[in-house]
Amino acid sequence: MEYVSPEGLRLDGRRPMEMRQIRAEIGAVAKADGSAVFEMGNTKVIAAVYGPREVQNRSQQMNDKALVRCEYSMANFSTGDRMRKPKGDRRSTEISLVIRQTMEACILTHLMPRSQIDIFVQVLQADGGTRSACINAATLALADAGIPLRDLVTSCSSGYLNSTPLLDLNYVEDSAGGPDVTVGFLPKLDKVTLLQMDSKLPIDIFENVMQLAIEGCKAVANYIREILLENTKQLEYRRGL
Amino acid sequence: MGATNVISSVKAELGKPSSLQPDKGKVTIYVDCSPTAEPMFEGRGGDELSMELSVALQRCLLGGKSGAGAGIDLSSLIVVEGKICWDLYIDCLVISSDGNLLDALGAAIKAALSNTGIPRVNVAVGASGDQQPEVDISDEEFLQFDTSNIPVIVTLTKAGRHYIVDATSEEESQMNSAVSISVNRKGHICGLTKRGGAGLDPSIILDMISVAKHVSDQLINKLDSEIAAAEADEDES
Repeated sequence: MEYVSPEGLRLDGRRPMEMRQIRAEIGAVAKADGSAVFEMGNTKVIAAVYGPREVQNRSQQMNDKALVRCEYSMANFSTGDRMRKPKGDRRSTEISLVIRQTMEACILTHLMPRSQIDIFVQVLQADGGTRSACINAATLALADAGIPLRDLVTSCSSGYLNSTPLLDLNYVEDSAGGPDVTVGFLPKLDKVTLLQMDSKLPIDIFENVMQLAIEGCKAVANYIREILLENTKQLEYRRGL
Repeated sequence: MGATNVISSVKAELGKPSSLQPDKGKVTIYVDCSPTAEPMFEGRGGDELSMELSVALQRCLLGGKSGAGAGIDLSSLIVVEGKICWDLYIDCLVISSDGNLLDALGAAIKAALSNTGIPRVNVAVGASGDQQPEVDISDEEFLQFDTSNIPVIVTLTKAGRHYIVDATSEEESQMNSAVSISVNRKGHICGLTKRGGAGLDPSIILDMISVAKHVSDQLINKLDSEIAAAEADEDES
């Protein structure tokens, strides 16, 4: 199947190095300490952060840092065919673990010992790149909750089909069977914190694809920074400063 | 409603009608409580509440076991009697919970159903006896679902000697008992659920029902105007 037409257009009309449209909103869940909705094209994800608060399970309490927990779940209606079991299946457990490890690396946990931070991510609409959208949403939600972070974590995926590196795969391109590289990146520190790939790629092409994903992450980081600045201005305005 | 935020979606699939009711389609309602609403909903924590809400919604919107008296007209979902019917899966997700979930879910389901379009199905003529007839699902034509008879749910919470409508979670924590009544546009009661351990005098329940009918009038009108406004926006964009 042709994923990149001879003119260089993908199935949804994008260029190979073009990301889908990003949209983010802070404070969607009033009850949570921090929350955000993040959209990448048709993929829509909502993240809520509860914490820092008292540890629910005493045996897991850590005396020198905060406990970070994460749960990823997909809504029944998020995919084309209705999903039977929203949580607890293996893919959800793996992604929960991945998001937890990524966020734990950037939260300054030693500042909040004996406490617990819960990150809940819910996929409302899935069209490829849910992992990346979840990490971006979690970053925004953590910033909204006022939890001290080392740096923003942004994430983007890229792949390689029809001999072209493609940025930000959607569901159709993802299911094509080609390689899918997901990168989690810390923009200020310029470090990669998450790197996952499936299928196979020759090493030199892999470098290109990974670099492309990192560029995507930097673009997402700029957008997130804008959204956070806008949010802070709103808060200042409401306080009458 | 206020800080309570729920999403409701309707998916339709072709299926076989049950042998007990060959002239009616099937509707399944499922509610999922997302942990974003409450941290305690993580893992299996929200299952109990999800089940309670799903069953309460089914009681209010679908009829009894014989399928009679359903708020949703099931016979409009039939394609070929006895062989093919539409299965509607109504899935709801609670994103933020600040009390009065049932009312919000009922309103969301009504709105989702009014936005639902069932594709027109052309059945191949000449299918014999037990054979599954061939169906051709049209991508172009949609039949709008008829939602004028779908009831809304109004929950009255009794705290002390007064009862209140649309309780927030703070108010719900103090309640003795609550009665959820589903009323349709004609003012007929389609379902009733009482929760909470405190006993209620029967005359109070009758009074609550009349209050609910009055409130539901306002709610149905407001809902319909919101749905019409939202659909007009959607058509424009």
